[in-house]
Amino acid sequence: MNKALKNPTVFILFVLPALILFGMFFIYPIFSSIYLSFTSWNGVSTHMKFIGFDNFTKALGQERFWVSVTNNVYFILFSCLLQVPIIVIFSLLIANVKKLKGLYKTSIFLPSIMSTAVIGILWGFIYEPDIGLLNKILSFFGVGKIYWLSDENYAMLSILITNAWQWTGYYIIMVLAAILSIPKELEEAAAIDGATAFQRATRITLPLITPIISVVIMLSIAGAMKAADIVLVMTNGGPAGSTEVMATYMIRYAITSFKYGYGNTIAVLIFVFTLIVTLIYQLLIARRNERIEY
Amino acid sequence: MKKSLVLLLSLFLVTTTMLTACGGGTKAEEPPKTGDTPKQVEKADTSPFEVTLRHTQVGADKKNRLAILQDVVKKVQEETPGLTIKLDGVDSEVNRKEKLRGEMAAGNPPDIFDVFGSPDAQMYAKEGRMLDLTPILAELGIADKFPNVLDPYTVDGKVYGLPIGASAEGFFYNKEYFEKKGLKVPTTFPELEDLLAKIKADGKTPIAAASKEGWVPLMLTNQLWARYAGPDIVKKIAAGEAKWTDPNMVKAFAKHVDWEKKGYFKKGELGFAYGDITGQFTSGEAPLWFDGTWKSSVFKKGQSGEAMIGKVGFFNMPPVDGGVGEQTALMRDSNNGYGFSASVADDPRKLDAVKKFIKELFNEDMQLRGLAEDGVLPSMAVSEDKLNATVTDDLMKDITKVLSSTKGSFPAWDSQVAADINTEFSAVQIQKLIGGQTTPEKMAQDLQKVTDEVLANKE
Repeated sequence: MNKALKNPTVFILFVLPALILFGMFFIYPIFSSIYLSFTSWNGVSTHMKFIGFDNFTKALGQERFWVSVTNNVYFILFSCLLQVPIIVIFSLLIANVKKLKGLYKTSIFLPSIMSTAVIGILWGFIYEPDIGLLNKILSFFGVGKIYWLSDENYAMLSILITNAWQWTGYYIIMVLAAILSIPKELEEAAAIDGATAFQRATRITLPLITPIISVVIMLSIAGAMKAADIVLVMTNGGPAGSTEVMATYMIRYAITSFKYGYGNTIAVLIFVFTLIVTLIYQLLIARRNERIEY
Repeated sequence: MKKSLVLLLSLFLVTTTMLTACGGGTKAEEPPKTGDTPKQVEKADTSPFEVTLRHTQVGADKKNRLAILQDVVKKVQEETPGLTIKLDGVDSEVNRKEKLRGEMAAGNPPDIFDVFGSPDAQMYAKEGRMLDLTPILAELGIADKFPNVLDPYTVDGKVYGLPIGASAEGFFYNKEYFEKKGLKVPTTFPELEDLLAKIKADGKTPIAAASKEGWVPLMLTNQLWARYAGPDIVKKIAAGEAKWTDPNMVKAFAKHVDWEKKGYFKKGELGFAYGDITGQFTSGEAPLWFDGTWKSSVFKKGQSGEAMIGKVGFFNMPPVDGGVGEQTALMRDSNNGYGFSASVADDPRKLDAVKKFIKELFNEDMQLRGLAEDGVLPSMAVSEDKLNATVTDDLMKDITKVLSSTKGSFPAWDSQVAADINTEFSAVQIQKLIGGQTTPEKMAQDLQKVTDEVLANKE
């Protein structure tokens, strides 16, 4: 067996199937996308015109494109500044709960196994202005009717809340796993030394789970950059394009307008922006806390 | 060494199986292509084969239309040994704007598909993606059965699609409510505005509205500008002979805004999808509803508006004083129907199935059935007697009365402009206008800017 693995041809043969698939479904699409982003092409024609950087200057000069970029930034900020703290707090609570831990874990994970379309429609009912649950509850406290999905002041927020609801459980399970893998002795020793539960959580547990939180933030950023389905289902980019994100901008202004070249330009821009944001995050924050040793 | 040989062999086996599995798919699908003459196929080949059919008859309101399609499919399958027609239902807007476009780009549309004529089918036809139906229509002897409705599907004199029916747009109204409140169908524009004010004062929402998709409110705006600026204004704009900033155009936009400000539309309309609009009318919340005649299917047996059968009427937008052009003109077109993939021509059995499909779906009986069961106006020539015998319910009578009393008509605006203008108007500008974030003047300028870009790129 060892002999076979030392043979480079065998090695290559082993790697080849994976490489072919990787090339077919990842490398090739990326390069063809980059190539197409420099063309003017309607997606159907056999005639393709090479137009250099025209698509890029056009996209970057469009006000509507920047609206969508800003909305992606909202997605990122919302998940990093609001969602992540909630995730950590809930994970700590669930980790320390004595009874019915399984029930909490299951119910909190439930939203992430539901399809986005179902969630969009479900929350559509909740946000319904006349008979929706949310307005019913708010009217109980004397708050007037809010048009959640049709008022541009609330539409984006409504989507962000729904999106957070969908994915929080998934990340909680990840953080929870990290918390539960911390050796019990550490906490016990601290408890004997007189540390309160709050001190134990902030001084012991939290520092030990920073690597996983860092991963959660990374995944949130990547998820936020490519968000599209939830927007399509809930507002379809409206009202008046105020909830458009980059991916839905790409669909609306390129794919449905017969401009595949331009669409690929937007795809490349999403790729580049995501690369930049994750790179910044890696350099500034993630690098610092890479290793944990007990 | 032995072991490594076994390993190598097994690896070779795995990769080759994988590769043949990948390649096999396409091979298996098209056996008749290999030199079979059509004659042989008809005689001998009854092996199973599949034709895919993309339709848009999804949702409760389209149940009757789906039943018609299913019957046609059944007949075609019975006539063709071995054939299975695979139905694939997709929401109309999703099919039109996303799914079919993606498939056209990839070059693999379904064999039979729901398609809009202009500009969609024309563009696909120009790129050679659609089957030329001209010889089939001649063969079936129905080439002259489509009077004046094939233009949106015609490129260079060849026909690439067939409209399933015709439609018009106007106001549906709640007869029961009108009688109870002593209201009358308006015959002049001031009467219409008076009517709206009265309904509003009564505490109702005058006009049902769901504007999440911009084309829905734009049906009314389109009708308004056809009154103020003339039925052919969009055609002129698309050709660069007129502008969106035309003062009469702006007047029409301003009228829509005026009605918005007065609260004549369902509040929060920007958050409601097209499917929600029916309920606003059938629940009695809004006594008026501006929409296409295709929606009359709601008021058929077994549909969501069943309780309102006989209580719904239809009227045309009244003339505007000082308006440009024919003042009874209304939107009338037959821009939605079926097209067929060009690849069908490579497979004689599929081609045969498509011919049978056309024969079974596009005939007088089916057109009348569509009218009777689904409220869809015929796109084919149908004898007057049969037509009158079929139209029995009051709403359809109202609609045919309106259609016979109008002189002019115009195609929907979005079938006449480039996709860019359509996107800008229906996805952004109209919602901004409804939401009060733009003014009629500003909107006209923004639309003109996009139009100018489109016109400049054309040259």
